[in-house]
Amino acid sequence: MHRIVVDAMGGDHAPDEIVQGAAEASLQLPSAEIILVGDSAVLGRLLPRMRHDGARVRVHHAPTFVDMDEKPAEALAAKPEASIVVAADLVARGEGDALVSAGNTGASVLACARRWTLLEGVRRAALAAVYPTELRRGEKNDPFSLILDVGATIEASAEDLVGFAVMGSAYAKLVSSNRRPRVALLSNGTEPGKGPPSIVAAHAALVETTELNFIGNIEGIDIPRGVADVVVTSGFTGNVVLKMLEGVSETVVRLARYAHKERLAWRLGLVALSSAIDQLKSITDWQQYGGAPLLGFTHPFIKAHGRSNARAVTNAVKVAHKALSGNLCGNIARTMAELDERWQRRPRSETSGVMPPITE
Amino acid sequence: MVMRALLKRVTPLVKVGERIGLFDHVPEGLPPGAPRPRHTFRWDLDKTYLRTEFDNILDLAKSAIETAADKQAFPGATALLRALRQDGNRICIVSGSPTQMRQVLAAKLALDGVEYDEFVLKNNLKNILRGRFRALRAQIPYKLPAMLRSRLGAAAEHETLFGDDAEADAIIYCLYADLLAERVSLGDLERVLIAARAYEDDIPRILDLAERAPKGDAVSRMIIHLDRRSPPLGYQRFGARLVPVFNYFQAALVLYEDKVLSARQVIFVALEMLDSKQYELGHLATSVQDVIRRGRISRETALLLAEEASAAAASGALSGRSDLPPFEQIARAFRERVRELGAIEPAAWETAPTLDYVRLVDEEHEHRRTRRRQGMT
Repeated sequence: MHRIVVDAMGGDHAPDEIVQGAAEASLQLPSAEIILVGDSAVLGRLLPRMRHDGARVRVHHAPTFVDMDEKPAEALAAKPEASIVVAADLVARGEGDALVSAGNTGASVLACARRWTLLEGVRRAALAAVYPTELRRGEKNDPFSLILDVGATIEASAEDLVGFAVMGSAYAKLVSSNRRPRVALLSNGTEPGKGPPSIVAAHAALVETTELNFIGNIEGIDIPRGVADVVVTSGFTGNVVLKMLEGVSETVVRLARYAHKERLAWRLGLVALSSAIDQLKSITDWQQYGGAPLLGFTHPFIKAHGRSNARAVTNAVKVAHKALSGNLCGNIARTMAELDERWQRRPRSETSGVMPPITE
Repeated sequence: MVMRALLKRVTPLVKVGERIGLFDHVPEGLPPGAPRPRHTFRWDLDKTYLRTEFDNILDLAKSAIETAADKQAFPGATALLRALRQDGNRICIVSGSPTQMRQVLAAKLALDGVEYDEFVLKNNLKNILRGRFRALRAQIPYKLPAMLRSRLGAAAEHETLFGDDAEADAIIYCLYADLLAERVSLGDLERVLIAARAYEDDIPRILDLAERAPKGDAVSRMIIHLDRRSPPLGYQRFGARLVPVFNYFQAALVLYEDKVLSARQVIFVALEMLDSKQYELGHLATSVQDVIRRGRISRETALLLAEEASAAAASGALSGRSDLPPFEQIARAFRERVRELGAIEPAAWETAPTLDYVRLVDEEHEHRRTRRRQGMT
């Protein structure tokens, strides 16, 4: 039985949508137990309103929670019994196997980083994000590519980037049912020598691996095209890229709205395209993906979008369940161990230095 | 002598007639001079005791051709039924399955080692032959008189009713309880029967049964098995006496609180559920938390059960179960699950609220129409 801990109080629509999503997951995953962490009085009122399996959803009381706009470190210091802290603790103590949260990203990552241990061979955890692309991948025709790290660390050494590549590949293999995910390093050119020293060194190391399907460097323009299934970068760059991609999407939507208002012909054009737009929206609907993982710890953590509704939460729980069933963490540790031996034989990277801890 | 010989000769024919649906099966009441039963447990079969899929025509067909060995009881239900079958108790089964299924269903119950006193099935062939197609689906006009007739034959001091969330069991059981307790008048019952689309000539017969059935506040507990996983809140309106449960461990917990079952019997229900491989100890502990959270049993009951079960385990209730951890460890896990809830206030309940049955029946019909529109039976 996989025990999946859900921060019931985290997210823009918490706790209603989170509880609803978890309740639905309890019906879809008979081999799982869902542990809802939050105010037991509130959760106890919500659960009986929903279809669920009372033998497979339990409540663990946590009197407070971290708001979406609170500063992570300050909030965790002020609220040691916040739902995300209690949830991360449950997993750390072995009372849960995986964690799902739609709450404050910084606080969630920090709560895990402070309580959980890294997998052997993993130097730094990486937060991944999914992005819809033109090309699809895997048995499920998955339209999302994985980008990591998007903010768990600021900088990354060559060793870290190799670790991210291993973790991202293992995740894509499992979640997208993609047997040989194409892994690429994000750089300012496709040539092996392009980019900062850490990228060049990581490229040299990854080229030698047989465990990964490393396709070399890609540029920013290749991300939405879907040239790679797993895009590896440092947390700083990844975060900038992700925000920019989100910004571009929002701008396109705003421009469409402008066109809708501006001229009748344009409005008619948009109406004519509406079914195609709806189709596109359904293909790239992030809610079907559920969430993105924080990789590198001994337990999976699925970070659902802050705006997650019940469906997204159900899917996030299902992703966590899949990660447990497919032994994601074990697979990462095994590949890291295999690479480690090879890595030990290589000269130390000139870029490996002391990096700041996980973003606070 | 002649009468007896005639009866002997005719009885097999009557039984065959009942089996094919030519005659109604009339349950035998208590034998002359037998003492009044202490407690009657009335059970529905499909979706309450048996895992039956009725969601589409294919499911119905599959269910009809299944053998006794193919049919599956819900984990814990068999152990619970066996536990309830004690001296002075009566097990009465009233099912909506057609009479033609009597043989296979009786064989299934025999396979499970379940003994019963009455087993009533729906004579749908008779309904078809009489052109009473409305009666094929009707719940209240079939089940309520069947229960009243059974009570006329053997009226127990206490009754506990088991049903499910697939049909109108909750409404029928509450109506039956309120009729016996004289909280519903015959005039009210007539209005309910009209709303439930009972055939005109059936209404006086049902009213007569209701009038003659021995009265008393006999029904103290109704258990509704949430086979469809319906939201439990939907059953709040029926008051504390009706408890929706997700599994039979929860039912056993409620009956333990009612002092109907002992801790040892609760353990046997739990063991059967674990043996089914559909439940682990964690699920059972979570089930305890769930019924406490919903205010259906008290924390004190759960803690007392842990204590008494510990004594039962020490006296051999778990002997031969090397697959389980030591009982103290199990009890600790259960206590921990209760503690996880924090200081949650128990829900306040109305024991027997006044129900508007006509409205409930109308809502149930609307619900069924919606389900039919969605392609479910």
